[in-house]
Amino acid sequence: MAELTHGKLTRRRVLKAGTAAIALPFLEIAAPNVLAQGVSKSPTNVLDFMTNADIAKAEQEGQLVFYCHENEAGTAGIMEGFNKDFPKIKTSYVRAQTGALYNKILSERAAGRFDVDVIQLSDIAPAFDFRRKGGYEHYVSPESSAYKKDHLSEPNGYFFWTGVDPAGIAYNSEKVAASDAPKGWKDILDTRWKGKISCKISASGLQFVQWYTLRKIYGDSFWKEFAKLQPRAFDSRVQLFDRLSKGDDMITAIGEYPAYILFKSRGAKVEFVAPPDGLVATPLVVGVVNRAPHPEVSKLFVDWAMSKRGQAWYQSNPNLYYGSVRTDAPAMPTGVKLSDFKLLYPSDWDEYASQSATFLKEWNSMLGL
Amino acid sequence: MGSWFSTQKVAGYGVAAIAAVLVLYPVYFLLQAAFDVGDPQVRPPTAYGVDNFSSLLQYPQIMLNTLTVSLAATVMALMFGSLMAWILTRTNVPGRRLFEQLMAVPYYLTPLLGALAWSLLGQPESGFINGIWRALGGQGHLIDINTPYGIAWVMALFEGSVAFVMIAALMKSMDPSLEEASQVIGASRIRTIMRITLPLVTPGVLGAAIFVFAEMLGSFAVALVLGLPTRYYVITTAIYQMIQQYPPKIQVAAAMGASLFAVMWAMLYMYRRVVMSGSYVTITGKAFRPRLLDVGRLRYVLLGICLLYLFVAVVLPLATLFFASLQKIATIFPTAENFTLDNFRTAMTMNAVRSALSNSLLLAFGTATIGIVLMGLLAWLIYRSRLPGGGMIEYIVMFPQAVPRLVFAFGLMWAWVVFPIPIYATLWLLLIAYLTVFLPLGVRTIAGVILQIDKSLEECAQMCGASWTFRVRTVTIPLLRPGLVAAWLLLFIASVRELGASILLMGPHSKVITPSIVESWFGTSSELTAALALIQTLVVALAIIVLVAVTRRVSAQPVD
Repeated sequence: MAELTHGKLTRRRVLKAGTAAIALPFLEIAAPNVLAQGVSKSPTNVLDFMTNADIAKAEQEGQLVFYCHENEAGTAGIMEGFNKDFPKIKTSYVRAQTGALYNKILSERAAGRFDVDVIQLSDIAPAFDFRRKGGYEHYVSPESSAYKKDHLSEPNGYFFWTGVDPAGIAYNSEKVAASDAPKGWKDILDTRWKGKISCKISASGLQFVQWYTLRKIYGDSFWKEFAKLQPRAFDSRVQLFDRLSKGDDMITAIGEYPAYILFKSRGAKVEFVAPPDGLVATPLVVGVVNRAPHPEVSKLFVDWAMSKRGQAWYQSNPNLYYGSVRTDAPAMPTGVKLSDFKLLYPSDWDEYASQSATFLKEWNSMLGL
Repeated sequence: MGSWFSTQKVAGYGVAAIAAVLVLYPVYFLLQAAFDVGDPQVRPPTAYGVDNFSSLLQYPQIMLNTLTVSLAATVMALMFGSLMAWILTRTNVPGRRLFEQLMAVPYYLTPLLGALAWSLLGQPESGFINGIWRALGGQGHLIDINTPYGIAWVMALFEGSVAFVMIAALMKSMDPSLEEASQVIGASRIRTIMRITLPLVTPGVLGAAIFVFAEMLGSFAVALVLGLPTRYYVITTAIYQMIQQYPPKIQVAAAMGASLFAVMWAMLYMYRRVVMSGSYVTITGKAFRPRLLDVGRLRYVLLGICLLYLFVAVVLPLATLFFASLQKIATIFPTAENFTLDNFRTAMTMNAVRSALSNSLLLAFGTATIGIVLMGLLAWLIYRSRLPGGGMIEYIVMFPQAVPRLVFAFGLMWAWVVFPIPIYATLWLLLIAYLTVFLPLGVRTIAGVILQIDKSLEECAQMCGASWTFRVRTVTIPLLRPGLVAAWLLLFIASVRELGASILLMGPHSKVITPSIVESWFGTSSELTAALALIQTLVVALAIIVLVAVTRRVSAQPVD
């Protein structure tokens, strides 16, 4: 417990990772652009946010190429929000799960292709790796001032937390009475859920965070007990709630709040439980890619995504519903703010990242892989 | 004599070289990854070894699951395919022309949609069929689609239609006088089928069996939708997990894929042994008029079989998807508040899907048209030319079929991203990818028909002094026309529904439709996905109706 922080994280060891010296050898592409970012003019106000981008130049570039881990509808939703505010800039995207997406961008860069402007990842571990490899452009957004240091890269300017995906426990209210529903994380280990409980596959960054944080709190035996329930694992939160709402599963051990809002709005008989120890949470990180073909558009997008306007869009789009870590963030569609929740993050992201192989082995083995 | 021989040589080796580049270039990168034991995130590899192959021993259950499901699905698909092909091409069952066209529908419905529909129908708890069962007083569930045989059933229905197309193509080209002769000398209908029809279609059926089995080994969507709820993993779903996670285990996935080459080569070797050991020629210089077998009253039984097949493979899935698409949360007994048209409204406004659909149709047209020439020449080269190395070309051509496309796509990506001509992330890359991954499908389909054409017809023309190009144009192609038309449509449909390779190779401006639908299933809802699927089906159906009308004119031209 002592190693965990709730709602806030320390990043001391993380900082070691991102040195420019390590970045330089990778593809030999980082240095000129990092230096080029050193000089910037005064930010200007556009719509209701501040940007360092030259809007006229951005519109002349006219194009944003976005790589994103998010599902098709969610990625299209992000592009739609930006395009609505900047209709002269066409948007295009490639989406894949973080593992495949990250391999794709590395393969492209190794082959000398630099087609991507901005990338969004669902797991902080590959973001650190990308940072180490000099994959991010250094750009300090004027909107950074509305973010705590913990929610920005170190040093600031490589990536930021564009949203947080918190998860508790969710259950089907037609199959489980409120009095019988789990109240805390340990309640998901009850044998009555055997064969009727779901979780996510090992590709999920959030699942990795849940495995890591609950193991820290309840010890190694927690997930061994969980494995005895023969949980069913799925790719996406939509699949988990789809099954939950139809009664195919009684509870899900990783009920993401955004999916709960979405399904509740459709009239699904699902309920959400916020365990007293906190909701497990993972950040979604966005950064400008080094050697972006449309640099002004890239800056403009990051400023927009960091702005109150962009964050409101991330929070209210039904295919996203991600909580904002902006200090002045508006409430989510349910009326609650992310800061109202007690959140569980790894306290040491470096140590978290180092556990990746153990997690993959244990989780895949539990699922029969 | 010398000039035609050189034309033949140039054409033969030219097309062989194209096929070799298409296949071996990405295979090289795939093998490189399979032996890569260095940092998985660094390319080119920093260290080589066999660790990836030895780690495959950790997955005996997955191998067993894959074999169980693939074998069961292949047997079912061949049974359905052979029976339906025989009924619709060789008997006088009523409405056979209409049924024959409807048989292609399950194939272009895509396995994902079939799985989605059958998932809605056959989930133990929420499945519509089980809901009705319980409403009628039944206990528990009537069917469970999440079992290995449930998975195989759906795979056979939606992946196995290719068996019908292949077998039907060769049955159409079969001289009925052989069956008639059998009946004239007193053999019963069953005996005629067993002693004449079946042996004649043996190479085609074997080819289809090998092809379908490989298709089942690489089947992904059905196992994903129906296997995961019961933690029933097969090779493709295991590979999918490996490449999605961070860091991805692409090297192990590549080793898993590469080891399937050995399986495919062994099967191909067996196939060639069977084909080379007998004569399966049915189209000879002797003229024949295709006639149908009069099966008497049995035709109404056969009609019932056709109707039942199309009900479970077409009507029921489409009706289920339509029913689900009109609801907020799909259930068998919906309330008025659950009704919505929003799914169609949302689907129609998704720009990405609209452009993806037109890209898919364009690519399918290109793949089928270029593919029919390339694959036709390859099939001729392998089975008809006397050029040395024809057998080797067949082994090369079968490579893409041996590896699940999810994995092969990585080989394609690594190969073409470093290619000096900038085709990466464009529709051209997808066209090349489709031509590569569908080589086995096209060649196998056309080969089944080529094997039935007596070489003496070409030799006769040769003796009359016809050049090679003249012979191909006036003898071989007209005789192959029905098979070529079937293969063209098959390639068109296969391209529209392609998923595994497209997911990784799509660029920001080169999106295609099936991955978008899969994404919708992952990320939105099964109800919206059902609406998208129905829209896709409708658009593709309209395209196919137009194409069939055009190709019917072509194939209706008499063979001189």
